[in-house]
Amino acid sequence: MGMSIALERDASQAAVKASEEKSLVLSAQAGDRLAFEELVRRYDREVLRLATNLVHRPEDARDIYQEGFLRVYRNLHRFRFECSFYTWLYRIVTNVALDHLRRRNTRREDQAPVSEDAESGTRDFFDRQPEMRAAANPEKALLGRELGVHIRGALRRLSPRERMVFEMKHFQGMRLRAIGDMLGTSEETVKNSLFRATRKLRASLNEMR
Amino acid sequence: MHRGKINRAEQPACSEFEPLLILFAAGELDAAAQSRLSEHLAACGVCRADFEEEKRLLSLFSEIRDEPDAALLASCRASLMDALDREEEGGWWRRGVRALVPSSWLAPRPAWSTALLLMLGFSVGILGPRYLLRSRVATPRTGSISASSPVKPSTDSDTAPLSTLDLHSAEVAGINVFPSGGDTPPQVELQLKAQQPLMVHGTVDNDDVKRVLLDVLRNNQGSDPDVRLYAVDLLRARNNDPEVRMALCHAVHTDHNAAVRLKALEALNGAESQELVRQTLLDALVDDQNPGVRVEAINALRDMAASGQVSPDEHMLAVLRERMRNDPNTYIRLQSAAAIRDLGPSQKF
Repeated sequence: MGMSIALERDASQAAVKASEEKSLVLSAQAGDRLAFEELVRRYDREVLRLATNLVHRPEDARDIYQEGFLRVYRNLHRFRFECSFYTWLYRIVTNVALDHLRRRNTRREDQAPVSEDAESGTRDFFDRQPEMRAAANPEKALLGRELGVHIRGALRRLSPRERMVFEMKHFQGMRLRAIGDMLGTSEETVKNSLFRATRKLRASLNEMR
Repeated sequence: MHRGKINRAEQPACSEFEPLLILFAAGELDAAAQSRLSEHLAACGVCRADFEEEKRLLSLFSEIRDEPDAALLASCRASLMDALDREEEGGWWRRGVRALVPSSWLAPRPAWSTALLLMLGFSVGILGPRYLLRSRVATPRTGSISASSPVKPSTDSDTAPLSTLDLHSAEVAGINVFPSGGDTPPQVELQLKAQQPLMVHGTVDNDDVKRVLLDVLRNNQGSDPDVRLYAVDLLRARNNDPEVRMALCHAVHTDHNAAVRLKALEALNGAESQELVRQTLLDALVDDQNPGVRVEAINALRDMAASGQVSPDEHMLAVLRERMRNDPNTYIRLQSAAAIRDLGPSQKF
């Protein structure tokens, strides 16, 4: 009983949210800049998170964010509510990100090994290990850092599409069908990309052992 | 994991479960396949170890996740808003050209880019002088204020007022302000683009001037931000006129340029007490993305509460408390706390 009430409440909240979003999109299509800004604020944190974890450089993530939302703005009049705005937005952003990854893969300087600090300008879990644990266990700290570098390297060796699927599935928590919709491909193709990505990552980590 | 791979090769029956393991870890396995896999895992140590490895792999990857920090998000938003401003200033024709000849097409083709530029330069060189000659014949010479428009001059002292239709069909091309010293309001010269160019001049007390300036603020998407800034500045002198007050509130709510919103808030500061003004200040404090505008909203609220123009009721205090807790800007959180300290007790007693 309680569960069904909760489900009904969730469903009605979702319906209100969807109708709110539709009116925002319609206003933005009619030239209301504030409505567009509101749509940006709804989704931009997730877009930036996706971009940051795909490219690991703040300046590249910023480029993807900006180019993605500008394309959305320029093409908003073409959106016909055939899918959710979220799906449509992600379709555009993932295309921008894939282009970016493909371009980067063809640039020679990106193929050379780069120090993580120099590359990202941010320090992640493994980078933080020396400071946190150096006194207690320097050897473990070093291993932790090496593992972090290795994992980043393994991710970089995936194809742009495999990397995108892995990221969207495991870290953005999306369903494979939704990923397929966003990438303009079938669920089966997305599954295959996920299999390939997982196998490559496993193999890459095995090399380290 | 290494052990698992060797054993899997030796046991081909397990290989059919590998994709299932991956899908299971991804939460994408249907109930039937899940129960088949569970039965197999219960019986097969190799696949069980593989499944543990899969979970460990995901946990390792989740540990190197980068969470974008608030500063990066704020800076991305600011850059995007600037880019959108430029986009809007560019107008429809620039967007059209960009759609027809995208930079991604031109950038890798320097020869084509050069040829296109030469063609454009050539066309401008040939057609430009012809267009200028034609427009010189059509455009009236407006060298001084008194020689304003051959069509409908409007000053403080003479001529019939402009019709609403005239104003709606006209776009303000420029504003010139001539300070007149002392307490006298400045003289304003408004150049309007219509079917035939118009010039309106007078002080802000002139109804035509006021009407054009109000129109600039009401239809803020189409005009130049500098023109809107001038309009706000000039209308400030009449901020107790209900129409002006409403247009200033409209600008705070809807103008996409932060400088215009800021100036409109300043212009409202000191206006007669009115629910609309109070609500506009609170809306700006809660909703405006620009911290400068939110700071100005707090300042105006504090000034107006101190002079008794707005009463610091429970709703206003609730908004200030919310800002004190949640505003991303430290200065605004501090200012909200200071405002609660100043305004709170007078509410209680």
